[in-house]
Amino acid sequence: MKELTCEDVLISQMAAADGEEPEFSKQQLSTHIAGCANCQHELKQLQALDHLLAGQTLSEPHVDLWPAIENRIAKRTNRWQPFALIGLLLVIYKLVEMLPARDPGMAFKLVPLVIVVLLFVFIRENPFRINTELVLER
Amino acid sequence: MDDADAIKRCQQGDREVFRHLVERYQKRAVAQAMVILLNRDDAEDAVQEAFIDAFKAIGTFDTSRTFYQWFYVLLRNRCYKLTGRRRPTESLDEASLLASQPGMANETRLALENALRSLTREEREIVSLKYFGGLSYDEIAAHLQIPRGTVMSRLFYARQRLQGKLSEV
Repeated sequence: MKELTCEDVLISQMAAADGEEPEFSKQQLSTHIAGCANCQHELKQLQALDHLLAGQTLSEPHVDLWPAIENRIAKRTNRWQPFALIGLLLVIYKLVEMLPARDPGMAFKLVPLVIVVLLFVFIRENPFRINTELVLER
Repeated sequence: MDDADAIKRCQQGDREVFRHLVERYQKRAVAQAMVILLNRDDAEDAVQEAFIDAFKAIGTFDTSRTFYQWFYVLLRNRCYKLTGRRRPTESLDEASLLASQPGMANETRLALENALRSLTREEREIVSLKYFGGLSYDEIAAHLQIPRGTVMSRLFYARQRLQGKLSEV
């Protein structure tokens, strides 16, 4: 049988005090404790701490994180949509352009440019603006 | 609506239902993040990021665990990432970890709070889960993803250090 150290006893005894299954039998623990002044002293102190902590609760601050989280989630889920739309429009444009015996004229040729400009307006980005702030990429 | 229903609906793409989970757990999560980070603003940032992580990963939710157990792993990861670039600790009045208890002297609460703050983040965390979260050893093991035996020994050493810190006061 493994010889119990004070540390084994204290760990197991505190587990038992917490209502958990200790690693060693109650008899083994009480035999050691009865003959060990160090364990008796340590247990007394740990039990006093246990008593002090038992009635405590964490302070739960008032927070409302949903608006910020919702905003982040919405941005994330909507990000792909304008790009999917522009892809679709450009495919349609190309199909129309491929129709035989048809001269759509100069205005039609400018349609892709208009689509791209509208996309930048929609996503509120200025492609000509240079960001002067240093952004460190990971 | 219980958590299982909310999670199922989130997995089907109902974004609004995620709000119930955020509102149900945000206070507890911020309080527990404060135990690790010792700073209210950092704690709120970590909780916010953890909820975004949860939303992204909700499709992989492990139904054998409770939502909060699963979420706590994400929260913990976020807290530990943040500890490297933390802000200066606020004064006790601004970011109190413990709630006032009727019948307990303010000095005793402050002494306990100071002793808690002087522990390592791992020690504070396990003490918090045991005493303030009321979790069993098995539940702590599930939250921290460590064996039960490690919970026993880690909790013991944390208590011993806490007792030592309180004796110094």
